[in-house]
Amino acid sequence: MNIQILDSWLREFLKTKASAKLIAKTVSLSGPTFDRTNAVKVNNKKDWIYDVEVTTNRVDAMSVYGIAREAVAVLSQSDIKARLAPLNLKKDKSPAKSLPFTIVNNQKLARRAMGIVIENIEKRNTPDWMRVRLETSGIRSLNAIVDITNYVMLEIGHPTHAFDYDKIKNKKFIIRESQKGEKITSFDGKNYELPGGDIIFDDGEGEIIDLPGIIGAKNSVVDENTRKVLFFVDNSSPRIIRKTSMTLNIRTLAAALNEKNVDPELAEIALLRGINLFQTVCKGRIASKIYDNYPNPYKTKTISVSKKFINSRLGIDIPNTQIKKILVSLGFTADLQKDEFKIQIPSFRASDINIPEDIVEEVARIYGYHNLPSELMATSLPQPVFNTTFDFEAKLKNLLVGHGGREVYTLSMVPAKWVDTKKALELKNPLGKNSRYLKTSLMPSLIEAAQKNRGGKEPFHIFEMANVYIPKTGQLPKEKLTVAGVFFNYPYREAKGIIEAILKKLNIKYFFGAEDMAGFIPSKRVKIISEGELLGELGVTESDFIYWELEVEKLRKLTKALARYQPIPKYPAQIEDLTLILPPKTQVGELMGLIEKQKYVSKVDLRDIHKDAYTFRIWYRHPSKTFTNKEVEKLRNKIVGELSKKFGAVLKD
Amino acid sequence: MAAGNDRELEEIRIEYLGRSGRLTQIFKNIGNLEEGEKKSIGLLINESKNTLQKLIATQKNKFKETAREWFDPTIPGEAPRTGSLHIITQAIEEIAEVFKQIGFIRMRYPEVDWDWFAFEGLNFDKNHPARDDWETFWLNAPESKKYGTMLLTPHTSNGQIREMQREMQREMQREMQREMQRSKKNLPIRMINIAKCYRRQSDISHTPMFHQFEGLVVDKDINITHLKGVLDYFAKAYFGKGRVTRLRPHNFPFTEPSFEVDITCDICAGRGCRLCKEGWLELAGAGMVHPNVLKNGGIDPKKYTGFAFGTGVERVLMMKSGLKIPDLRLLYSSDLHFLGQF
Repeated sequence: MNIQILDSWLREFLKTKASAKLIAKTVSLSGPTFDRTNAVKVNNKKDWIYDVEVTTNRVDAMSVYGIAREAVAVLSQSDIKARLAPLNLKKDKSPAKSLPFTIVNNQKLARRAMGIVIENIEKRNTPDWMRVRLETSGIRSLNAIVDITNYVMLEIGHPTHAFDYDKIKNKKFIIRESQKGEKITSFDGKNYELPGGDIIFDDGEGEIIDLPGIIGAKNSVVDENTRKVLFFVDNSSPRIIRKTSMTLNIRTLAAALNEKNVDPELAEIALLRGINLFQTVCKGRIASKIYDNYPNPYKTKTISVSKKFINSRLGIDIPNTQIKKILVSLGFTADLQKDEFKIQIPSFRASDINIPEDIVEEVARIYGYHNLPSELMATSLPQPVFNTTFDFEAKLKNLLVGHGGREVYTLSMVPAKWVDTKKALELKNPLGKNSRYLKTSLMPSLIEAAQKNRGGKEPFHIFEMANVYIPKTGQLPKEKLTVAGVFFNYPYREAKGIIEAILKKLNIKYFFGAEDMAGFIPSKRVKIISEGELLGELGVTESDFIYWELEVEKLRKLTKALARYQPIPKYPAQIEDLTLILPPKTQVGELMGLIEKQKYVSKVDLRDIHKDAYTFRIWYRHPSKTFTNKEVEKLRNKIVGELSKKFGAVLKD
Repeated sequence: MAAGNDRELEEIRIEYLGRSGRLTQIFKNIGNLEEGEKKSIGLLINESKNTLQKLIATQKNKFKETAREWFDPTIPGEAPRTGSLHIITQAIEEIAEVFKQIGFIRMRYPEVDWDWFAFEGLNFDKNHPARDDWETFWLNAPESKKYGTMLLTPHTSNGQIREMQREMQREMQREMQREMQRSKKNLPIRMINIAKCYRRQSDISHTPMFHQFEGLVVDKDINITHLKGVLDYFAKAYFGKGRVTRLRPHNFPFTEPSFEVDITCDICAGRGCRLCKEGWLELAGAGMVHPNVLKNGGIDPKKYTGFAFGTGVERVLMMKSGLKIPDLRLLYSSDLHFLGQF
């Protein structure tokens, strides 16, 4: 989370001669990160605004005071003189006659709830110094009462709230869980229906008068007539706060802090600081004792860590005295007993310091990660993993690119109409209905991608290699790596030729079998088969593209890195072109298969098509001699005879 | 005696200067002459021969000049259809190559995984914001008793425990095989996992599907200095030798300590500019593997330590190339006008 604070405010607690830039640079390396430091003029005085990023586990540093505390520890370690000015908050004596108030708590909901009544609120105008500080921190100034609550939150780090004491009918809060559907109107007039299970303050008659830790309610808000303020600090369950705040989409700074586990001990400091401001700014008077419901106060936690442990994780040797100095500067106590530190954790760090490794982090960061050397480990190498799929995938992609393929990536989440919803995984919380299912085929995504690009006449071939997700009962889905593509404006033979060229390059034997399938124009699709396994498909789609698809894992199993060596033939082949007239609807692939099967035919190509005349080039080869013309004639006659019998083909003169 | 073309010229050359040409004949007969004449005739023949040779050569060039065919070598070439790898693929291959050089093996783990591998086993708090419905995609599938809910992996970190388990399984097999020998082999893990990830976000700088790469090293005596070493190696190999990294404190549930890794900004060379944070750009998240995670991976955290780091492929690609892509969603739009540029 980022917070913006003025340098002059920070320096009320951080006493140092270091410049703003030096503070920012130094602290960033070991504590919260000062993303930016910008010079500003405030009431004609030079000042700086810091934009500070504090990690979510360090809610203790999400305040002016918290950052000052971190800065002192870091600067001191870098030999820059710095000191933390104490808060000096005194508890005033309670008045003899206290205005009444009752807190009925449920300790599962609130870890601490405390409040005090301040009367005689005179001044409502926010003083300039306070307004400027709030505004630079991005908080709108409203009136002194509300501003004080925000000021305390920014300075101390615990959200606080002010109620109009006179608007609270029974002078009582019942802290309870909401029912689903209960309604609340926020102080700024927005209506919300609660999802249920939220923490609310009930006035004792069933009316909700606050959504604590998140936003105030209209029916208890302070206004221009407020004479008595109930200043309240509650420390509620971070989990429930987060849930309510996210569900209702009320992302106030208070909610952002409360959901991160603010230290309940801090509630008291915030309360005292607030009282102090009500007295000085509003001329208010304490009218009650401090009501405090705190069922489980903090018990100091101790962690033991050996010096050896710390140094082994850091990779260098830091002396005991320095380790201790660092820990003390962060508010820990560290007792060294026989090379082992017994470390007491202050309450404000209790939620993020739990194990010895956490102590390592504290020592290491304050020592300075930048002060540690940088070395590649000289340990043994891992056992190699052979036969991973990555090289094969790269080879396959590069083959496609070499033949003009353009790789695309499409989203894995697709609309319902692209899958069989009974055989696809459904997202519980999709971003929208167009991304509700995990894709089970690359076809719809690629066809859509091709549609988007079909504007021009320019032919293209797009392809993708990605997983499709096939559900399996009681298990994770099968993530089937698939490669598929779409040709636009390519002649069928050219497109098919590219896929064949790739299979050949991978040394995979294949054959095609015509078979209709949904999505393709009838009789314009083939399945691709190798060694009895279905590898994929290719065909003309209803949307008039040529779509093809292959299963990567199967290709990888069938591929041979090198073709088998074949002895170079000793005798040249007789090559001749044969033009045949074929009857309509002849499947040329099948016809060529028949030619290829003939004895002594080593190769056959389709050279030309002219109307119904198909020219084939045939290679006749004998292993131990060159065929004479006469012998070729015999072979040819046999072929033509068979083709005529089986396909009705006629030799063209 | 006139030659109209190359061929006729060659005939003339043979007639006079060939092996049995006229001049050659005369030269052969020179022996029959008187001593006194020999010298002057010899000189005369040589002179004639030289003159003829020169004339023939000149004439030959003239013929070549006129016989030259018109040809325009500046005519544009006919372009074959060229394909292109998606820039993300290009980046992934480059990243994998860098880590291969320092002995990392590349692995791949499920994109659809159980909560346990993505969160619970990685020490995420039950209430961690990443585990709620606003950040991670959850699937409507029956829960696993052992591993919880099914999800789309929000990071490549699920590969951490899966890699540890894979290595430990191997370790156990090894033990069994060499029962007699009492295997003393350590367990080094040096793995890089590059994969698709998913988060519930979509705006100009976020796509619901993106890519991460994640490194994991586990062995005896692994410490922070080694993490720095690997990151510096990557920074120099991938971005250029002038670049350096720094670690800053950060917070992740599965590492302790945790770091954010910055790299010097190349635009301002570290002086600080509009695009960076006082001279630094955020590069990656990293940390020392949390002992609970090692335990969940079946590794004894008292004996072994490790580090992990991870970041977005898109992020390092943008940082390296200086590509100012106005909207990251373009990457997954399949727009050939866009993809054709790379």
